[in-house]
Amino acid sequence: MDILSVLFILAGLFFLIVAAIGVIRLPDVFSRAHAVSLTDSLGAFLMLVGLALHEGLSKNNLKIIAVLALLYIQNPVITHATIRAALRSGLKPWRRESS
Amino acid sequence: MRPVSSEFLVLKATALFVLWVLLSGSFDWIHLVLGGVLSFTVAWLNSGHSPFVPNFRLWGKIFLYLPWLFLKIVQSSLHLSKLILNPALPIDPRLLRVETNLGRRAAVVLMGNSITLTPGTITAEIDHDVVPEALAAEADPDALLVHAIDETSAGDLTSGRLEAKIAEVFKNEERRW
Repeated sequence: MDILSVLFILAGLFFLIVAAIGVIRLPDVFSRAHAVSLTDSLGAFLMLVGLALHEGLSKNNLKIIAVLALLYIQNPVITHATIRAALRSGLKPWRRESS
Repeated sequence: MRPVSSEFLVLKATALFVLWVLLSGSFDWIHLVLGGVLSFTVAWLNSGHSPFVPNFRLWGKIFLYLPWLFLKIVQSSLHLSKLILNPALPIDPRLLRVETNLGRRAAVVLMGNSITLTPGTITAEIDHDVVPEALAAEADPDALLVHAIDETSAGDLTSGRLEAKIAEVFKNEERRW
């Protein structure tokens, strides 16, 4: 069980690191928001599943599920609000020149 | 403003109370009584203001839709990770208009939320009064303005698969919103 939970946490960490690299490499706020959404959709999910497996059957698992549900409801709202604010303030999304 | 049924008031208070017990984690009487009083107060304060009456069949269908969405999230996460780790950074971001015929606000909100939850696509606007001139073709309240990081990420939107899935969820449902 412990090995399984470590595997899940490592997989979650992989996506968190990729997201961090993405935030550095991508050109503008719009595409960086995509990288950040990688963190909360799969990164946080795998980390929390790993933690739940580590806990076994206990009250804390219900808390983990509550955190997960809140993350999945709130993160899209926050991302959408940020992107809409950027667009409405007149920021132009980065385009590839060659196309 | 439609008052909420008393059954729903009790249901909501119970749900709040369960959350209270879960988060406080203590079972002595002072916590339980305080939690009970507070959950009923909060539920009662909100009772006159919410038109929301739970439609369990619809919520069931939404829960059945979630596994499909999760599969999509995993697929596009892997795709986006490949893009980011590729040394050439082969991204091609674009804004695109997605027309929908869902016709209900709840369905459009579910669609916008699913789009944003999927890495690689973000809903930027739903109503179209403040959209950049280039994209504001005609006033269409059901169109979504989506920022996608490349063509593959936008695939399910341009092909209409996501919209079809959501239309299926809301099919045969009495219109409330």
